[in-house]
Amino acid sequence: MIKEYIENWSGEVNTLVIGATPEEGGSRRFSVKIGGERTLPFLFKEALLPFKPVIAYEIWDIEPIDWATALSKYYGDVWGNTLEWADKLIREYKAELLCLKLAGAHPEIGKDLDEIVKLLEGLLKKVDIPLIIIGCGDVQRDNFILPLCSQILKNERCLIGEVNQDNYKTLTAAVLADGHSIIAQSPIDINIAKQLNILISDMGLPLERIVINPTVGALGYGLEYTYSIMERLRLAALNNDRVVASPFICFVGQESWRVKEATTPEKEFSRWGSEWRRGYLWELITAGALLQAGANILVMRHPKAIEKIKEYIDKLYEFKIN
Amino acid sequence: MEKFKVTFYPDHKTVEIQKGQSILSAALAAGIYINSNCGGEGICGRCKIILRKGEVFTQPSGRLSWEERKHNYYLACLTTVQSDLEVEVPEESRLSFEKLAVEEIALRFKGFYEKPESIETTQSILDEVFVHSPLATKLYIELPPPNLNDRVSDLERLYREIRKRHEIPIIQTCLTNIRSLGHLLRNSDWKVTVTLGKRDGVVEIVLVEPNNTSLHNYGFAFDIGTTTICGELIDLNNKKILGARAIYNKQTVFGPDVITRIIYGSQADGLEKLHHAVVDGMNEIIQELIQEEKIDLNNVTCVLCAGNPTMIHLLLKIEPTYLRREPYIPVANFIPTIRASETGIKINPRGLLFCLPGVSSYLGGDIVAGVLSCGMYKEEGICLLIDIGTNGEIVLGNRDFLVGCSASAGPAFEGSGVNYGMRASGGAIQKVKILPNADKVEFSTIGNIPARGICGSGYIDILAQMLMTGVIDRSGKIRWEDHPRIKQRELEKEFIIAFKEETNLDSDIVITETDIENLKRAKAAIFAATSVLVKHMNLDLKQIEKVFIAGGFGSYLNIQNAKLIGLLPDLEERRFIFVGNSSLIGASYVLLSHQAMQRAEELAHKITYFELSVDHSYMEEYMAALFFPHTDISRFPNLKGMI
Amino acid sequence: MALSGLEIYKLLPKTNCRECGFSTCLAFAMQLAKKAVALDKCPFLTEESKKILEELNLPAIKLITIGKNDQRVQIGNENVLFRHEERFYNPPGIGIIINDDLAQTEVLNIIRKIKDLEFERIGQRLKIELLAIRNRSSEENFLKTIDLVVHNTSFALVLMCEEPRRVKKVLELYKDLRPLIYRITPDNFLQFSQLLKGDNVPVVVWSEDLEGISYLTQQLNRNQINELVLEVSNKSPAFALWQLTQIRRLSLKKKERSLGYPVLVLIENQDKDLSLLFTVSYIAKYAGIILLDTFSPEDIFGILTLRQNIYTDPQKPLQIEPKLYSIGSVNTYSPVLVTTNFSLTYYTVLGEVEASRVPSYILSVNTEGMSVLTAWAAEKFTPESIIEAIEKSELKKFVNHNRIIIPGYVAMMSGDLQEKSGWQVIVGPREAAGIPRFLRDL
Repeated sequence: MIKEYIENWSGEVNTLVIGATPEEGGSRRFSVKIGGERTLPFLFKEALLPFKPVIAYEIWDIEPIDWATALSKYYGDVWGNTLEWADKLIREYKAELLCLKLAGAHPEIGKDLDEIVKLLEGLLKKVDIPLIIIGCGDVQRDNFILPLCSQILKNERCLIGEVNQDNYKTLTAAVLADGHSIIAQSPIDINIAKQLNILISDMGLPLERIVINPTVGALGYGLEYTYSIMERLRLAALNNDRVVASPFICFVGQESWRVKEATTPEKEFSRWGSEWRRGYLWELITAGALLQAGANILVMRHPKAIEKIKEYIDKLYEFKIN
Repeated sequence: MEKFKVTFYPDHKTVEIQKGQSILSAALAAGIYINSNCGGEGICGRCKIILRKGEVFTQPSGRLSWEERKHNYYLACLTTVQSDLEVEVPEESRLSFEKLAVEEIALRFKGFYEKPESIETTQSILDEVFVHSPLATKLYIELPPPNLNDRVSDLERLYREIRKRHEIPIIQTCLTNIRSLGHLLRNSDWKVTVTLGKRDGVVEIVLVEPNNTSLHNYGFAFDIGTTTICGELIDLNNKKILGARAIYNKQTVFGPDVITRIIYGSQADGLEKLHHAVVDGMNEIIQELIQEEKIDLNNVTCVLCAGNPTMIHLLLKIEPTYLRREPYIPVANFIPTIRASETGIKINPRGLLFCLPGVSSYLGGDIVAGVLSCGMYKEEGICLLIDIGTNGEIVLGNRDFLVGCSASAGPAFEGSGVNYGMRASGGAIQKVKILPNADKVEFSTIGNIPARGICGSGYIDILAQMLMTGVIDRSGKIRWEDHPRIKQRELEKEFIIAFKEETNLDSDIVITETDIENLKRAKAAIFAATSVLVKHMNLDLKQIEKVFIAGGFGSYLNIQNAKLIGLLPDLEERRFIFVGNSSLIGASYVLLSHQAMQRAEELAHKITYFELSVDHSYMEEYMAALFFPHTDISRFPNLKGMI
Repeated sequence: MALSGLEIYKLLPKTNCRECGFSTCLAFAMQLAKKAVALDKCPFLTEESKKILEELNLPAIKLITIGKNDQRVQIGNENVLFRHEERFYNPPGIGIIINDDLAQTEVLNIIRKIKDLEFERIGQRLKIELLAIRNRSSEENFLKTIDLVVHNTSFALVLMCEEPRRVKKVLELYKDLRPLIYRITPDNFLQFSQLLKGDNVPVVVWSEDLEGISYLTQQLNRNQINELVLEVSNKSPAFALWQLTQIRRLSLKKKERSLGYPVLVLIENQDKDLSLLFTVSYIAKYAGIILLDTFSPEDIFGILTLRQNIYTDPQKPLQIEPKLYSIGSVNTYSPVLVTTNFSLTYYTVLGEVEASRVPSYILSVNTEGMSVLTAWAAEKFTPESIIEAIEKSELKKFVNHNRIIIPGYVAMMSGDLQEKSGWQVIVGPREAAGIPRFLRDL
């Protein structure tokens, strides 16, 4: 007699909501729920996996001039205007979650504060789906801009980031006051991820409002490190380590479109095949692998890759219904 | 290259040195040892000198006050020679002696050694009693003069008389002794004192002296640490410690840790310099103590050294290079007995030098001595020995097995590499309590004199109290902004422990964020090594019945605070036993007993060395331990809610 | 259950005789626990201890070899559920299916394309290692296609035919190539177990559920058919993941011998991109062989890269590419900081350089992933290795000064380095935390 080996996990991943509907004091048409897993990815027979992983479309506040042609041919026409860009994603590509990166706020680009404020206000009106807001990556600038964004978006229950060990204080305080959740970024290191969550929650922000960005390495560029760190964090969460029971956000698009395998033309490496399919697959495989490690939010770029990964998730979740 | 003369005062020593060399290296060339905990990086600010005359070039440093600069103070490491110079080296800038804290001596020789009278001891932790049989013994013999019926040769006569008193089948002696024997016996009217020493299983006549000197037989036990050298003078006849001294190891100027020194030792002249630095230090301790006790150097018949393998190699001027090269092999772990004079150690010219055997390249006789003195090798339950020193050695085991490793913790808890750190000696802040909101900081110093600095136990208290009061967060960063005790320096904050008025110094005594970082690393290395060792043996920390803590803390160590910062595992307080400088204690045991020496040799064979650097989980554990008390609070279940 | 070093130690003579080359019996025991040393190094082991220890050494998942010589594929012999626990050892064999109803020219065309599927990444050659020939038409065609493949390639073979007699015939010709036979099912297992008895060729076993698979493997074992590969069906991918997980868990944690074999998944007849995503899941989760019906280079390149990632040894330190990195808007006057290629060290230095807001270069030296002091102690961070990095990165082209900054911890080498390299060596701070101040004061 073969008896199935069922793990009785004692913990679960925190459930986190992005977006607040009018009833909840916000202006989003719906909200997105993530987390809540009580077992490892897709082991439906073992325990509850209440919410599907979600995909967020990455958009920028400025035109992303260095994004690949493989992407621009789908929606490059609207990159010059963030609001139109968002609108197109929602209408044509059925986006349910947007991740706005305030790349223009970087000191090297030096976009005006007024413009950022105006953009956010416009976005709030034009777009009615849940939002993720990401800073420009310059610590000082982000510490200045992001609390402001937090205030403008007050009560919309956004996900805002990112913070790391050295700059978590300012944004944590802002996010706590304005009812958002925070993205805690750690450099592919399980201990730093844990430590950061402790430091943030020691400031009073509940652990339930933290999403971990474990830092993604793209396929062929350290993917396995991210994979194992996520797997380990998830195992710790399932073994009831509350400190790390946070959902994961993975910046798949940004990382996979950066590597040479995604964009180098076929004529340079004929063996690699067409760059159109290759770039698309690089993002797709990176996303697929991270789902196996427990990713909850995938921030992606290629509309077709997003469509396909959703189809894949749906296919796996069919089993849940049966 | 131009050369200039640099004269140091008040020593009146002059050296010639190339233009552009630092004053620190000039001092070294003159045989003057200046404090430089940071290894000449301009960080610690301890190498202050006063320029009396001459031109120098210096780099700016925040370690000198405006007042000091006005009075021609310079940092010796950052200041280079540009002309002939006259330089004064103030007392506080010199590597100096410290008497061992009385409390430290108090912990020794329970049941074996008669303790100095004035000292009260509460615990009886060292219950082993070795037979009193010093490594060198003196025997006063009145030989029957030869006559026609007793025509045995002088030497055989001596052997015969020795054997009447001791059962020694084989006795050896060297030619020098034999050559002088004929006159000596007759001139002293056949009344002589013989010093016997055991050299690798054979008893040797070390020395024959006229008349009865047997009441005066002394030896030195040394613990040669990477950062500190401790020595004590012991009366081998009555097992009494006559005095003890600690001194910063002068090799520190060549680098703070063993690896740096090995590398320095591999360079031309490097080994020679390192060798002299350690021998000089030992000789100073010997001189100082025999003068104080008014003892004739000739009555000091043996020296016993416990040290890590690097220290022993350097002491004996043995090539250290291969210690740090894969696969990390020492030239010798078991050092045969030699004459102390061969190394330059100044005792009786024929006196012996013993070195305790080591286990591997990074686990030496000092740790064997520690295991010997704490007695863990006899215990049934699992024991842990943690030596909180520069190398941070850890031994786990009981009477069935012993396994040990070295964690390279760094010297922070020995008071080195931290801004106001010092050894546990007079004036060191050793106990600290920070009141809520840090309104007040209460502290006590060793000897109850005005504070000069902070020793290891003081730092442990400070970190724990800063955590509990919320001055720092769990990563060790100072959280508060506006507080009379917190100062924002250029790039970091510092917290004032003692205001200038409360000290013996010209400044406040502070702890900086960098200090906290260094202490955090030291504690993390030790805790991580402990965890890895325990995990590797498939044990759980909870199964450990006794934890012996060794280190130069003085007698005071707040266990609860040490747990709060994550230095020690979260076990009930009664399981911790503080053993002080266990290496020096073990060394004294061995000096006084052949039996203890034999046991030490067995232990050196028995202890299994575990190489942390090849273990992949060590780095991971270390990163997890870089948090207060630890990233994984479930490892410290009893501390929940305290921080 | 694996024994700990301490438990093994108790079975050893405890004499510390050093015959085994280790300094103590305990040290030897700890190596035995890690399976890093052979048991027979100890000449004084009692028979009883030997038996206990040998039993412990049997792998929970059998190692199966397909193919011959240097073209052979080895799968199985895995020890863990998660790669971080130790590592995944034998990467799944990736195979491409060729049907025997294709025309000869078409087959040759496919073979030619498959041979082109070879990629180079970080010093490793990535390629597929299996060709699966599937019998869809006559016996004659099957044999002909096999013959064609064997004569034109040297891939290890999977022969897909569920008709026992036909398989027997093929084996008479190609047994020496040690192909993998696909497959035994509940319907044909009686005939197969008669036919394959004593042939010692690897064979795939399929049944609907684990109970069925376990029954078949036990029956086959009775007929000395032991070289087995289990199959789970890709019909429902989530169920396949479940079965793969169960087989791995049961064989490792319950020592269920009847399931202690590598697992094959066949992926075909689906949306090409979904197929690829399923392949991704099975590489991550425990597959021993994956057979595909695609050979487009982009897909295979991606799959092989993922396989390489997942099967890297996680116990090797994280390394970054040793090269010259520019931080901020550097110019020819920017300072150059030298450090190791241990990623942790690099990222710490990077963080501090960024914090200083002084545009700088970081020259990462190949120290095989060791940190500054470890690398220095092990002689991987030396004047020679730094000079090599300076030359390789063509540093001279990027700056018009000749100063490099080395970590304070290796101040000792500054003179030597300066002399040998001709660069002016500045000793930086020991701790990365001191970098911002250092750079600003420079």
